[in-house]
Amino acid sequence: MPRPLWKGTVSFGLVSVPVEMWSALRDRNIRFREIHTKDGSPVRHVRYCIDEGKKVDPSETGRAYELDDGRLIPITDEELEGLEPEKTQTIEIDSFTPRSQVDPLRFDHPYYLVPGDKTVGTVRAYRLLVEAMAEGDLLALGEFVMRGREYLAAIRVRGDVLSLSTMHFPAEVRSSEDVPGPAEVPGKEEVENAVSVIGERSVDWDPASYRNQHRERLMAVIKKKDKGKKIKPPAPAPEEKPTGAPDLMAALKKTLAESRGKRRKPRDLSGLSKGELYELASERGLKGRSSMTKQQLLKALRRG
Amino acid sequence: MALRSIWNGTISFGLVKVPVKLYSAIDPKGIAFREIHVKDTSLLQHRRVCKQENKVVERDEVAKGYEVRPGEYVLLSNEEVKAASGERPKTIEIDEFVDVEAIDPFFFNKSYFLGVRDVEEPYALLAAALRESGKAGIGRFTFHNREYLVALRAGEDRLFLHTLRYEDEIIEPGDLDMPEGRKKPTRKEVEMARRLVAGLTEDFDPGEFQDEYRAAVMDLIERKAAGKKPRKKRVRKREKPDDLAKALEKSLAAQGS
Repeated sequence: MPRPLWKGTVSFGLVSVPVEMWSALRDRNIRFREIHTKDGSPVRHVRYCIDEGKKVDPSETGRAYELDDGRLIPITDEELEGLEPEKTQTIEIDSFTPRSQVDPLRFDHPYYLVPGDKTVGTVRAYRLLVEAMAEGDLLALGEFVMRGREYLAAIRVRGDVLSLSTMHFPAEVRSSEDVPGPAEVPGKEEVENAVSVIGERSVDWDPASYRNQHRERLMAVIKKKDKGKKIKPPAPAPEEKPTGAPDLMAALKKTLAESRGKRRKPRDLSGLSKGELYELASERGLKGRSSMTKQQLLKALRRG
Repeated sequence: MALRSIWNGTISFGLVKVPVKLYSAIDPKGIAFREIHVKDTSLLQHRRVCKQENKVVERDEVAKGYEVRPGEYVLLSNEEVKAASGERPKTIEIDEFVDVEAIDPFFFNKSYFLGVRDVEEPYALLAAALRESGKAGIGRFTFHNREYLVALRAGEDRLFLHTLRYEDEIIEPGDLDMPEGRKKPTRKEVEMARRLVAGLTEDFDPGEFQDEYRAAVMDLIERKAAGKKPRKKRVRKREKPDDLAKALEKSLAAQGS
């Protein structure tokens, strides 16, 4: 049974909204298991106490901080919770800020907040916060503690529910100044040409149009191996040569000429017949496709 | 302090080739705990045990296996896994561009800085053009034999690279189990709440946010190491949200608006 990762209250002013926090991600990675090559049997991971020379049950384990001199200081969950008891229960919104002011590199893990219970009062308070933030692309910023760590949270309306992205603390974000940058200022005409190329190749953001090719290729490798075929690694491609200053303008002009009219059309599945959708579904190896209606095929294909 | 690059390669923007170095943009500062056996405060080891033989197995005796049929595994060597990584592991080909602001924050995964490698001109050009157009280039990037969808954009005068999540990895609001609200907040309550939000809206100031908890955990560790008692904090009592309108009025009054 899936469980919420955190339960508590979001408060702004004197208004408190009981919430549950759920991850917004589903794992679509191909999962491998470790197999003992000798006998083809799966391998189990066990915890082993070196002092006692014995296997240890997960319920007997805890955490400790290792000091520089090697001493171990055990720290319990209760001790960690006692440090900031309020933040383990409440996300207090300190301020709201326009999303455009927050650099995307600060965002970490995505979650959803759902009402913590089904009572009228809770659901109303939840809807109130949604309505209050819905206009303007705002982030509500606050801090909370979960599993012995403090997180910076950005709460935002997504669809008609509250989402929460954890953010890296400012001290964790490096300065791009520490990375070698260009001293040169590019020529005006060159920048104009490059901006034109970008314009020619611009499309609407449509995440459904990007397929996880890596997963597809890995699945193909697995199927090939299953049939007893040999897997050949691809020949390494030669490294690209940098475009130096003298050739930059010529390369840009040629790219611009090639880009004109080559813009990718947004993928429109709704115009396809059921037969065409089915064909696409077989290409992608979509499970259960033969029993799907046209609408179900459409929905499943849009999911990638 | 100079950062260490973790990847070298080339961005291909049409016929313009931009050599770059990659650096991690994030330096996690979380406290690393060790796993211990509580009974005797000793470190634990993770060991692999073969289910069939019930014996300890070393790392070099295992391979990656994918369960094709129940209990039946196809084994892949690292070389075979590598075969799925794509043909041009050293090139990030930018095929198309989107508005940076159009990308939903949920899609951003890991973030990196790109630095100049060898020649400056193409780098400076791409950074200037991306900044001026407010666009992000979308491409594919191979790192440790795995291909990622990436967005490339310009910061002040450096290029940033973000790995992106795929659409099917993200749960949409419609998939959530949301309780139906029988009684909506009134217009007046929403209006008051918006005023409260407006009064609390300010420019983003990252300096405001510090991981104070981390300092408290380090303090706890030091006190325990010195044999002292941990400090205790008390919890404030909170008001219940049963009267929304009253809570809003009080909050607005406190805000002085």
